[in-house]
Amino acid sequence: MNVRCYALEAKYEFLKHLRMPAYAIPSIVFPVMFYLLFGVMFGGARPTAGTTVGTYMMATYSTFGVIGAALFGFGVGIAVERGQGWMTLKRATPMPPMAYFAAKVAMAVLFGTIIITLISATGVMLAGVRLSAGQWLALSATLIAGAVPFCAIGLALGYFAGPNSSVAIVNMIFMPTAFASGLWIPFEMLPPVVKSIGELLPPYHLAQLALRVIGSGMGAPAWTHVLALVGFTLAGLGLAWIGYRRDEDQTWG
Amino acid sequence: MRIRPVAVVLLGVVCVVGGAVGAVRARASAEQSGVRPAAGAADTFVIRDVRLFDGSEVTERTGVLVRDGKIAEVGTRVRVEDGMQVIEGAGRTLVPGLIDAHVHAFGDALARALVFGVTTEIDMFTDHQQAAQWRREQKASGGALGRADILSAGTMVTAPKGHGTQFGMPIPTIASAAEAAAFVEARIAEGSDFIKVVYNPRDGFGITMPSIDEATLRAVIAAAKARGKLVVVHIGSVAAAETAIAAGTSGLVHIFGNQPPPSDFGSRAKAAGAFVIPTLSVIESATGTAGGAALTEVPALAPYLTSAERGTLRTSFPNGPGSTLRVQHAMDATRQLFAAGVPILAGSDAPNAGTAHGATIHRELELLVAAGLPAAAALAAATSTPARAFGLADRGRIAPGLRADLVLIGGNPLTDITATRQIEAVWKAGIRLDRQPASTTANASQAIASSAISDFDGASITAAFGAGWQISTDTMMGGASEAKMELLKAGAAGSAGALGITGTIKSGSSFPWAGAMFFPASVPMAPADVSKFTEIVFHARGDGREYQLMVFAAELGNTPGVQAFTAGGEWREHVFKLKSFGIDGANLRGILFSASAPGTFSVAIDQVRLR
Repeated sequence: MNVRCYALEAKYEFLKHLRMPAYAIPSIVFPVMFYLLFGVMFGGARPTAGTTVGTYMMATYSTFGVIGAALFGFGVGIAVERGQGWMTLKRATPMPPMAYFAAKVAMAVLFGTIIITLISATGVMLAGVRLSAGQWLALSATLIAGAVPFCAIGLALGYFAGPNSSVAIVNMIFMPTAFASGLWIPFEMLPPVVKSIGELLPPYHLAQLALRVIGSGMGAPAWTHVLALVGFTLAGLGLAWIGYRRDEDQTWG
Repeated sequence: MRIRPVAVVLLGVVCVVGGAVGAVRARASAEQSGVRPAAGAADTFVIRDVRLFDGSEVTERTGVLVRDGKIAEVGTRVRVEDGMQVIEGAGRTLVPGLIDAHVHAFGDALARALVFGVTTEIDMFTDHQQAAQWRREQKASGGALGRADILSAGTMVTAPKGHGTQFGMPIPTIASAAEAAAFVEARIAEGSDFIKVVYNPRDGFGITMPSIDEATLRAVIAAAKARGKLVVVHIGSVAAAETAIAAGTSGLVHIFGNQPPPSDFGSRAKAAGAFVIPTLSVIESATGTAGGAALTEVPALAPYLTSAERGTLRTSFPNGPGSTLRVQHAMDATRQLFAAGVPILAGSDAPNAGTAHGATIHRELELLVAAGLPAAAALAAATSTPARAFGLADRGRIAPGLRADLVLIGGNPLTDITATRQIEAVWKAGIRLDRQPASTTANASQAIASSAISDFDGASITAAFGAGWQISTDTMMGGASEAKMELLKAGAAGSAGALGITGTIKSGSSFPWAGAMFFPASVPMAPADVSKFTEIVFHARGDGREYQLMVFAAELGNTPGVQAFTAGGEWREHVFKLKSFGIDGANLRGILFSASAPGTFSVAIDQVRLR
């Protein structure tokens, strides 16, 4: 049955990460560790940009974590599995191709949720972060929905990066863009040149949507960020489609 | 139509560019107009999740929104909007800015008070011109001055040679009931916010000075009330307190301590509608106990106290043998008054011996609780109660529309009143005070080894140590006296030079002076340790008038020790023992050679040294 296919694929994708935690551990540990280092230990209660350092950094490192989970899960995951010929094998099974992608989306959402939960708990317990129930819901929903564009970008990366180079490529793209988008240190503090680059990058727009929820950020209207993220989603899907076609052409002629 | 993946990518790029351009333009226009929500408006902030003492009631875990220097909202539903600064209040207590209902404000008193959370000082006698200037400035600035506001009695009403005339400031006095109306009118013309009267026949505090009589007291109270002014009375005994209550005073600015309260004193004060400012701290000092000394050991206060403040806090008034003054009597009276429903106001009587502006209000709160007031009533005594008693409708409570005078306390003063000393932040009119510890240079006394100060034989006015010589005049207190100093060619005992000081003493200040001042430490008015010497020695000659040698030292507070000398036509050596100024020299801040009698003066000094 179709639904069962989707569920089984998601289940085994999850088991894979459980048994080969090379992806899961860094994805979860790094954002939480960075938040502890920069958001909590450097004075979480200090005021900044209309909120406290602890609250601001909670939003930005949660964004960082969600994006990382999506980019690595898709970008590296697909590149590696393409290299192993796993995709070719799966195409030979009766499983619908979409189940493969749906399982990856489910994993990205699951890991994103775990990261948000851990960072939020850290913020509440160690940095004195206090938000209303509405704000907690809005922040989580924004970030989880915000994983979609990065799944699309990761998908595109996965089709163009080689299996061995993919980790390096994703890191090379992810780390600088995270910095320039203000995920590590508040965007307001970045040099003007970096700021003008950051405003063209997808993480900036998701971070701004998250910061709006907690009453901070640069104050641009939400629609601008949503439009930019929809654009990145389309661009990512379009590029992935081109890459997929290329793979299919190579495999099936 | 068949969708091509390239078209999807292009559409995506168009969306990205559209979104990014929109975001950049919105940010740029926000930055240009100055309304950057992210930066946070300085005068709009929220203190949230805080224990709130609003002046009478306690609310756990609530919020306060401050906007434009005023309290905008109070409650758990206070909304945090874009750009607001958020102050975490968890575990802390927010109280209204403290009001010290009995002080004497001179010099930097108001600024010092604010450091310790006192946002309003009710002054019971100071230079009325200085008070008028402060009043003008605080009105013009809306209270945002980095110092406490003042409400002042200005010149107090006392008998010739009565209490209040001993401080070196010549003040008008009242001899009979017939002068009352005109006397009160003159005080109102000077700007007095309320009238303070000294009535202390058979004083119990050890002040043995003449007092106005009961008829004059009644006449002054009647005159003040006829002009719609609050009138408060200084008393020093049970008898004086009873007379003042019977005469219809608005309040007493001390409680007595010479004997236990009569059993019906509280109910009579209540029936008369009077309030009482017990000033237990200064009464404790008057019994010879330096109760304020403990404040200098509190880690949360000590770094903020200057050496002068530490000095006065560690002193007390000398308590004469046979004195019947007891703090316990004063506390018993306070408890009885509170039980009878009489409003009790916290007042320090700073900067008297044993007290300091700002810091002592925290000792007073402790003593009020020790006397039997619940902690909330003690806090009210320093916030809402004085505001109500003195008609300060815009402060003393935390409620929408009132001025944002606030103190954030680390701890819970409702369970431990001494928690008020754990001051985390002070706001006045919504502006957060940048609390700085008293500078180390102002705290550590610099040891001086050199006995020579100045021989004035060089090419310029120099000194062997310290910050040198400066002109000092009463212009800093609103006066108009002038002085200048210059090197003279011929000095004492055939030496090459001397310091000439000439000038004019003009009336206009209550305490006129002009002269030259030597600062022994590298920073003016910082203390220097000259305790290895016992005398100040100098030569002087002049126009035959009387001059003052004034010595400033930490333990003397703001009031210098004064000795007079006459400068005649011939050079003469003058020797003054440090002890004669009441100091040991360990914290000497300045030596002032000054004239004070009206008219022009000319004096020369030479061979100034310590011995």
